[in-house]
Amino acid sequence: MTATPLFVAEGITKSFPGVIALDEVRLSLEAGSIHALLGENGAGKSTLIKAMTGVHPLDSGRMLLDGIEYRPKVTREATSRGIGVVHQERNLVPRFSIAENIFLERLGGAPLRRVVHEKLIADAREWLDVLEIDADPSLPVERLSVARMQLVEIARALSLGSRLLLLDEPTASLTSHETDALFRILRRLRDDGTGLMFVSHKLEEVQEICDGVTVLRDGRNACESRALAGLGRQDIVRLMIGRSEIIPDWEARDRSDRETVLELENVSTPLGHKGVDLAVHAGEIVGLYGLVGAGRSELAKCILGKYPINEGRVSIRGEPVEITSVADAVRRHRIGYVSEDRKNEGLVLMHSVLDNVGAPIWRRLANRFGLLGDGTVRAHTLPFIEKLEVRTPSLAQSVGNLSGGNQQKVSVAKWLAAETAILIVDEPSVGIDIKTKAYLHELIRELSDGGIALILITSDMPEMIALADRIVVMNDYRVTGEIANTRQYDAMSEQIMALIQG
Amino acid sequence: MSGRLRDSDWFGPFLVTVLAVVTVTAFSPSFLSPFNVQILLLAISVNAMVAFSQMIIIAIGQMNLSVGAIGGLAAIAFGGMMEVWGLPWPLAAIVALCIGLLAGLANGVLVAMTGISAFIITLASLSIYKGINLGITEAQPFYAIPQAVKSIGNDTMLGPLPWLVLPCILVAVGLWYALERLSIGRAVLAVGGNAHAAELSGISVRRVTMIAHAVSGFLAALAGIMLVARLQIGQPTIGDDWLILSFAAPVIGGAVLSGGRISVAGTFFGVALVAIFTQVLVLFDIDPFLVQIVLGALILWAVGINRYREVRARRQLGVAAP
Amino acid sequence: MAKNDGGRGARISPVRVLLSNEFGLIVLIILFAVIFASVSPAFLSKFSLYALGRTAAVNIMIGFSMMVVIVTGGLNLAVGAIGVGAAMTGGLLMEAFGWPWPLAIAGGLAVGAALGAINGVLIVRSGLHSFIITLATMSIFFGVMIFLTQAQSFRGISPAFTGFGRSKLFDVLSPLLLVSVAVGLLLSVLFRLTALGRELLATGANERAAELSGIRAHRMITVCHVLSGVLAAVAGLMLVARTGAAIPSMAGQLGQDWLLPAFLGPVLGGTLLTGGRLSVLGTFLGSFLVTMLTTGLLLMQVGAFWVQTWLGLLLLFAVLVDMARRSFLSRRKLA
Repeated sequence: MTATPLFVAEGITKSFPGVIALDEVRLSLEAGSIHALLGENGAGKSTLIKAMTGVHPLDSGRMLLDGIEYRPKVTREATSRGIGVVHQERNLVPRFSIAENIFLERLGGAPLRRVVHEKLIADAREWLDVLEIDADPSLPVERLSVARMQLVEIARALSLGSRLLLLDEPTASLTSHETDALFRILRRLRDDGTGLMFVSHKLEEVQEICDGVTVLRDGRNACESRALAGLGRQDIVRLMIGRSEIIPDWEARDRSDRETVLELENVSTPLGHKGVDLAVHAGEIVGLYGLVGAGRSELAKCILGKYPINEGRVSIRGEPVEITSVADAVRRHRIGYVSEDRKNEGLVLMHSVLDNVGAPIWRRLANRFGLLGDGTVRAHTLPFIEKLEVRTPSLAQSVGNLSGGNQQKVSVAKWLAAETAILIVDEPSVGIDIKTKAYLHELIRELSDGGIALILITSDMPEMIALADRIVVMNDYRVTGEIANTRQYDAMSEQIMALIQG
Repeated sequence: MSGRLRDSDWFGPFLVTVLAVVTVTAFSPSFLSPFNVQILLLAISVNAMVAFSQMIIIAIGQMNLSVGAIGGLAAIAFGGMMEVWGLPWPLAAIVALCIGLLAGLANGVLVAMTGISAFIITLASLSIYKGINLGITEAQPFYAIPQAVKSIGNDTMLGPLPWLVLPCILVAVGLWYALERLSIGRAVLAVGGNAHAAELSGISVRRVTMIAHAVSGFLAALAGIMLVARLQIGQPTIGDDWLILSFAAPVIGGAVLSGGRISVAGTFFGVALVAIFTQVLVLFDIDPFLVQIVLGALILWAVGINRYREVRARRQLGVAAP
Repeated sequence: MAKNDGGRGARISPVRVLLSNEFGLIVLIILFAVIFASVSPAFLSKFSLYALGRTAAVNIMIGFSMMVVIVTGGLNLAVGAIGVGAAMTGGLLMEAFGWPWPLAIAGGLAVGAALGAINGVLIVRSGLHSFIITLATMSIFFGVMIFLTQAQSFRGISPAFTGFGRSKLFDVLSPLLLVSVAVGLLLSVLFRLTALGRELLATGANERAAELSGIRAHRMITVCHVLSGVLAAVAGLMLVARTGAAIPSMAGQLGQDWLLPAFLGPVLGGTLLTGGRLSVLGTFLGSFLVTMLTTGLLLMQVGAFWVQTWLGLLLLFAVLVDMARRSFLSRRKLA
C-alpha cells in the first residue's frame, strides 16, 4: 500500500538574473515523517522554501499537495492549503501574550470585534498542552526564551491547520536541553500524521530526528528523498560538499618559514570565541573552514576591529596591537575584509564603481587641504579595476546595476587599491557564476604570491583545498584543529570531517 | 503582582506625579485648593487629548507632525461656523470633528498608499492645514463663542472637576478599551510591534495606518474644540505649541517610538506631570520659559530609558532593533 | 556643483540631463518667472528681484543646513532653534558686549557649531533616531535661548552689519545672495572634491559598508550635524543683517517655521531623504524656486496667509513626483 505522499516537488527550476538558484529539483515528503533538507550556503534551500510558501513563483516544474496541484501565488494560499513555516527569525509581536500571538490571524477581520482575552488564553492552553509547553498563555512573548518563542510559532502554525510544517534552522539558538524538548514535540507531531521538513546545519541533530533527507548542492539534488538510515555523517557531508569542479593543479606551498604577519594567541571575544590560536604568514593563504555557525565570519570581524577582543593577544609582524575600530584596522594596519554579504556590507550599491573602489583610500589620497579630485581617485583605482576585468559601461555606473560577479570584483578591487597587507576573504564565490569563481581563485592565488597574507573563509571544500596552504577548522567558535594542504584530496577530506565534529 | 506593577509603564509616572503633588503641596498648601485643582484639571484635560492624538500614531510606529495644525484648523472651523454661519454649537462641533477626522484620514491614506514616510507627509500636511487655517482667518480670532461653550470650557460640574474632564476621561477609557479589547486596537499594537508578523497574519497594515491617522485627526480636532471652549475665543494659533508636548507625554508614559508599546494611563500621568510642573513654575515665580528646556530633557531621558528596555527585549526576539 | 555621479569618464547622455532634477528646476524657474512677470510686471522690477534674491539667500542657507544632515540619512529638526540661538548670540555680542560685527558673527557661528555638535554626540552615543533627539534639543536649545535673553530682542546691531545686509549690488543683487552662492560652492567642493565629503556620502548611503571600508561612520554623523549647525547659524545671522535686529521669534515657536523651507529645498533639489546622494545645485535652485513662488503668489494677491498651504502642497507634490521619477529611472536603469 503506497499512500500518496503529502508533498511532491518535481522539476523545480527557478533562476534569478545571473544565477540559477534551483535546477530540476525533486523532493517527496510523506505525512507522518520528518524530512531533512540539507545543503550549504547558496545551495538553494531558502529558495526552495520560498517557492513552497508562495513567495517566489517557479520558472518551471510543479508541486503537489496530497496529489493535488499546488501553485501558490501568495503566502496566504500556502497557509490555507496547510503549509506552515517557522522561520529562523521570529515573527512574533513582542508585547502580545502567547495566546494573542498564536491567534494573531483573528485580528485581521472586523475592526470592532471584541477580543476576549480569557477565551484566547483558554484556546491557547489547549495548543500549549498538545505541545506539552508549560507556560502561562497570558505571558508576553518577549519574556520567553527563544526556545519557547519558537514553540509558540509552531503552535500558531498548527492552530492554522498546518499539515506540512517547515522548520528553518529551529535549533540555531537552543541549548541541548531545549533541543531535546523540541524533538520530543516534533516526534509527537510526526506520529500524529504531520509532515515536517527540517532545515539545519547541525548534522548530528538531523541524524537524530529525521527519517529521510534531500541534499541540495549548487541548486541541484545531490540526493533526493533518501532514507537516512544507512547514511553516515561522512556520507552526508560528502553529498553536501561534493566535488563538482576540477581542482586547479597548483603546487603545494609551505609558507610557514616566512614572516608571521598576523598572529592570534589564545584569543577570546565577547561573541563567544575562546582560546583561538591563528597565525598567517606573508604570502600565505590560511583557510578557515567550518560549517555555518562556526564563528568564522565573527572572528574575522573581531580581527577587523568591529568587535572587541577580551582576552589573548593579537600581533602584527611580531608587535602586539590593539585594534580599536575598523578604521584603525584598515588605515593603520592595512587589514581588509571582503564580506560574505556584499550587498549590505561589502558595497554601497547606490554609489558608482569609482566611489566604491576608492572608499578606503580617500583619506590617504587627499592633499594637505583635504581636497581630492576624481582624477586622482581614478588614477589610483583604475589599474586595479582593469586588472580585475570589471565589466562596467563606465566608472560612473552604480554598482547595484552590475552582475553579481562584477560586484564581487569591485569589492575585491577596493582592497587591492588600498594596498591591503592582510586580506580576509569571506565566502567569495557564493552566488557567483563559475567563470568569475575560477577567476577569483586565480586572483587570490596571485595576490598571495605577491606577498599578501590571506585568510580565506569558505564552506566550499574544493575551493578550500584548491587555495589554502593551511586549513584551520573551526567549530562552535573554537579552533578544533589545523592541517597542511598536501593536495591529497581524500585524505584531507577525512581529516577535515573529523575535525568538524569538534 | 508587585512585579507586574513595577513593570507596567504607568506606575512610574504615577508615582512621580504623586510625589510631585505631595512635595509641592508641602511647600505651598494652596496648590491643592479647589480653584487650583480646577485650573490644573482644565489644562490636563486639553493636553491629554493632544497627547492621545500623537500616542495613537506612536503606537503604529509612526509620527504625526500635523497634530497641532489639525487642532488649529478644527478650532477655527468650530469658532467660524458658529460666528459666521450661526450654527448651533453641537452641530459646529460635530462638523469640526469631522474635519479633523478627514484631515487625519488624508494623512493616513497618503502614508499607506505611497509608502512615503509619515514624517514628510505630515510635515507637508501640517503646512497645508495651517495654511488653510490662516487663509480663512487671516490670523484674526473668532470672538463670538456662545455662552454655553464658554461655560463647558471653564465651569465645574462637580466640586473642582470641570466639565472638560468628561471628554478626557471618556476618550481615555475608550482608547484603553479599544487598545485592550477591540480587534482594531490590538491590530494597531500588532502593526507597531512587528508589522511584518502582522502582515503575514493577514492584518492589513494599510488599513490600520489609515484608521490610526483618522483617529489621531479626530482627537486633535477634539482638543482644538476643547481649547476654544476654555480660551473662549476661536484662536488661529491653537496648536502652534503642541508638537513637543504631544511627544513628551506619551514618551514619559513609556511609549517606544518604533511602535507597539504605549500606555494610556502612562500618557495621562505624563500630561499631569507636565501640567503640574508648569504650574509650579508660575507658583514659585520661576521663569516659565524653563518648561521648554525641561520638556526636551524629559523626552531625552524617557526615550533613552524606553529604548534600553526595548532593545533588550527585542534582541531576544530576533526582531532587529530599529 | 554636479550630482555625485562618479568619474569624469561618464558620458552625460542628453536624456539624463533632461530628466535631471536641476534642469527641471531651471525650467520651472524660468516658466514661473514668465508667468509671474506677465501677470504682474512689477515682478521683474529691480527692487523686486533684489528682495527676491535677498529672501532666497536665507532660504537657501536653511535648505543647505538640512541637506547636509539628510545626506547622512538623518534629520535635524533643531535647525530653526540653532539658527535663532546663533542669531541671538550675535545680537547679544554686538549690543550688550559691543563686539565688532566680525567677532560677533564668529561667536554666532561658534554657537551654531557647538549646538550641532551636541546633537551629533547625542545621536551617536544614544543610538536613537535623530528625529527624537533633535525634537528634544529643539525644545531645549530654544528654551535656553529664551531663558537667557528673557525673550528680548536686540536692536543695537552694528550699522556696518545691517548695511551689508541691506546694500545692493548693481541695484539688483543682494550680497547675502552672494554669500549663499559662495557657501554653495564650498559645499559642492566639500562633497565632490574632498575625502571628508565622500565619506559623508558613503556613510549616508550605507553606514555598515562605509564602516567596514574603514570610514569612521560615527564621526561623520557628528561632523554633519556640526556643519548643519554652522549653516543654520549663517541663516540666522543673515536674517539679523537683513532686518537689523535679533528677534527671538524670527523662526517661530521653537524655530519650527524653518522646517518647511528646510525640507522643501533639498527635496525639490533631488536630495534623497534616505541619504547617500545630494545635489547642492538642486537645493540651491529648489530653495530659490520656493522663494520665487512665494514672492510671486504674494504679488498675485494670493494673500500671505494662503502661501503656506501652497508650499505644503508643493512639498507633497515634490515628494510624490520624486518617488515616481526614481522608480521610472531605476526601471530603465538610468539612475
